[in-house]
Amino acid sequence: MTAGRATGPAPEIRLDGITKSFGSHMALHPIDLRLEPGRVVGLMGPNGAGKSTLIKILDGIHSPDRGEIRLGATVVGSLAGRPEVAFIHQDLGLVDDLTVLQNLRLGQPPLRRAGLLDRARETAAAQRALAAVSVDLPVETPVGRLAPGERTLVAIARAFDRGATVLFVDEATSTLPPGEAKRVLDSLKVKAAEGATVVMVTHKLSEILDAADRVVVLIDGRVVEDAPSAALDRAALVRMLVRSESPAAAVEDAALTPGDTLVELDGAVGGAVGPVTLRLRRHEAVGVTGLTGSGLHDLAHLVHGSTPLAAGRMSIAPGVRRALVPPNRETQGGFDRLSVRENLTLGALDRLRGRSGLLDLRAERSTAGSSVERLSIAPPDPEARYGSLSGGNKQKVILGRLLLQRPDVFVLCEPTRGVDMTTREQIYAIVRTLTREGAAILVVTSDAEDLFAVCDRIGVVADGRLSPLRPVSEMAESELESVV
Amino acid sequence: MLPPTVETPDHPTSTHRPGRLRGAGLPDLLRSDLAGRAWTTAAFLLIFAGYAVWLGSRFLNVGARLLDLHQNIPIILLGFAVLATLVAGQFDLSVASMSTLAAFLAVGLAVEERWPFGLVLVTCLAIGVVGGLVNGLIVVRMRVNAFIATLGTGGILSGFALVYSDGAAVVSNPTSGRLPEWFFGRPTSLGSFTAKPPAFVVWAVVALAAAAVVVVLRRHRPQGVPIRRWTLGLIGAVIAILVLLATVADLPAWLGQVSWMILLLGAVAVVLWGLVGFTVFGRHLKATGSNPAAARLAGVHTDGVTIRAFVVGGVLAALSGVTLAATLGSASPGIAEPYLLPAFAAAFVSTVILSNGGFTVWGTLLGGVVVVWIGQGLVIGGVSYTWTGIVNGLVLVLAVGLPALLRRRRT
Repeated sequence: MTAGRATGPAPEIRLDGITKSFGSHMALHPIDLRLEPGRVVGLMGPNGAGKSTLIKILDGIHSPDRGEIRLGATVVGSLAGRPEVAFIHQDLGLVDDLTVLQNLRLGQPPLRRAGLLDRARETAAAQRALAAVSVDLPVETPVGRLAPGERTLVAIARAFDRGATVLFVDEATSTLPPGEAKRVLDSLKVKAAEGATVVMVTHKLSEILDAADRVVVLIDGRVVEDAPSAALDRAALVRMLVRSESPAAAVEDAALTPGDTLVELDGAVGGAVGPVTLRLRRHEAVGVTGLTGSGLHDLAHLVHGSTPLAAGRMSIAPGVRRALVPPNRETQGGFDRLSVRENLTLGALDRLRGRSGLLDLRAERSTAGSSVERLSIAPPDPEARYGSLSGGNKQKVILGRLLLQRPDVFVLCEPTRGVDMTTREQIYAIVRTLTREGAAILVVTSDAEDLFAVCDRIGVVADGRLSPLRPVSEMAESELESVV
Repeated sequence: MLPPTVETPDHPTSTHRPGRLRGAGLPDLLRSDLAGRAWTTAAFLLIFAGYAVWLGSRFLNVGARLLDLHQNIPIILLGFAVLATLVAGQFDLSVASMSTLAAFLAVGLAVEERWPFGLVLVTCLAIGVVGGLVNGLIVVRMRVNAFIATLGTGGILSGFALVYSDGAAVVSNPTSGRLPEWFFGRPTSLGSFTAKPPAFVVWAVVALAAAAVVVVLRRHRPQGVPIRRWTLGLIGAVIAILVLLATVADLPAWLGQVSWMILLLGAVAVVLWGLVGFTVFGRHLKATGSNPAAARLAGVHTDGVTIRAFVVGGVLAALSGVTLAATLGSASPGIAEPYLLPAFAAAFVSTVILSNGGFTVWGTLLGGVVVVWIGQGLVIGGVSYTWTGIVNGLVLVLAVGLPALLRRRRT
């Protein structure tokens, strides 16, 4: 009912000696942390460093083994259900079919007049909530039709509108194109300046250095750095994050001559994309980028064959097999209830059958075991439940599944979303190896770094149409960022 | 092992809420995933221990308990039928009706129509295939929610059984035809509890099961224990348990009571276990059940997998009807309808024992046994059999609900 105004200063949050272990794996060593109002705190660290575990403990999803959480002067079990604290996870918790107004008012006491909903007052309240985070949006638009950044802003507006003064943002900006991410970060900075506490978990160094006042780095479940961001420089931070991880293998880049054409689209239309003309050849990685909603991901599905061709022509060389890293990793990537082993080998089961026709579990276990080792998946246990893995490790498992499947054409959507820097380098190295070995690769990404790291030719999708591909050497990063 | 709950100077427990102990205490341990499973298994054992104290030898009568199992084999097979579709993420509510229809056909075609019995059995299983295929096609092609689709086909299957029998029971009788004697009617017939396989067969099965337990547990070697020592230790432990059972629990007498039908049930379980755990189809089944969208994108033909899951369910349901005919020698309207609830209870109990949340074949077998014995214990204790539905319902709801409640960590 307090529309868009914090109900007083944010309480201080103190963590004292929080520990958590899963089986024999110590996810968090004693963590001591103080979160003061008026600051944006950036929480970073490699995949599996314990960031998500810490957030989940605060959100009451896990309970800590030891230690206590203090909100102001009160010791609390967790911060879940506290009106002054809000969590925004990657999925945002919005209902896509409802309008901005309905989403903002969801769960709030309805404003009534004569027993009926007072639309005018509800609309005014929603607009005030948006204004409080400096956003102007048509409140009657269904949330599903907003740009991703605008959706994130609606989630933030809703959190503050419900009286939150402490906000935890878990990777909510990692999927956003730079322009939209900046809008979100700016709005968070403004709220912090007004006295809110903002904690953001992210892998993007530039975001941390731009937006955060203070940086906390978590490695192997320990706080290894806690300093004002002004006192840190990018190089030092990179060194710190990379030092903790196994060194990425250096890969020699040799110019490759493209080989046979495996997939050819000629005026192809499908889903929300087209007509598209595109050739995928052996020994070549093609990169495609564009805004969300531009039909970018439909292009991936079209090439993979999971969206039917509606018009135009698409020819596939005989015997060519295609595999996809899906765009929605969280919902379409893997199998939560199955083990990492079962997730990895799903596409390679035909090769893992014994003479009897039954699965050779011994062969399967060793295959999965070497994938886990090669991709340094954490925890290093092929029998761990996929659902319990951190986002970056899930990404590695999905990629591992594709590698075991050994297709000729790889369609990789957002291959480095939410992964740490070492993994990113590792993924790039894998993609380069694949191209060298003769695969045709289509990288569909909103991350410009992916394009420059592994792609030979680059195109941009806008309004469902793909621009003519240009060699990467002819493009500058700034040029791409202006497009995206 | 309980983690210590001792306060340390660094992390004093709160003075604000003296009732609340921070740190890992008993409640945390009770809430862990592993404990969740152990907890339900222990709860069932506790119920049986309670029965043992309450009813004494009347409950601890091995022959009588195996007879319960023998008589309820149709329920457990129905549990397997339900399981086949549940693994693929679908509900099949038509299995009980399929079982009823198959029982009618098994008795009716042999007795009234005097078909050769081999043809009768093939027909029953073929009806199971067709029923499953229809269910699968309705769900996959017409995109009807499986719950609704199988509710409808279940009504149709029961309807066929009623129309065929004109609402009356079909009984083996001298004036018309008879069921073959190997199947029903004599102490040595398949359906009879007194038809026992030779002792060496049962002992061979026990030996194979013991070996399988060792092979499976070999993989769960704790860190730091050499593989050789772990394997030898496991073999020793299994032998020790067998010897203990043989001396204290009179295992040989126990095994002497196993009937051919119980052995058949075990064989079906092994085949189904192999199908789910050791074939590409089984893995695709699990993937489809866990995340259909991801499975499709990963190249699994989820539609075909789903249809085949319904076919497997249909065949098992038909088999359940055939075993029903073998134990009863007759079929009456709606005979298997009350088995739907205990069958689902058995399948869902499998998610809370012996598993990390998934449906399992052996868990369903144990679940079926648990459901049957819990009900039977009350009957022995003098509770009317009319309470069976209430008890089965409670087992289903509590077995699935309590662990979930205990796992909830929100404060």
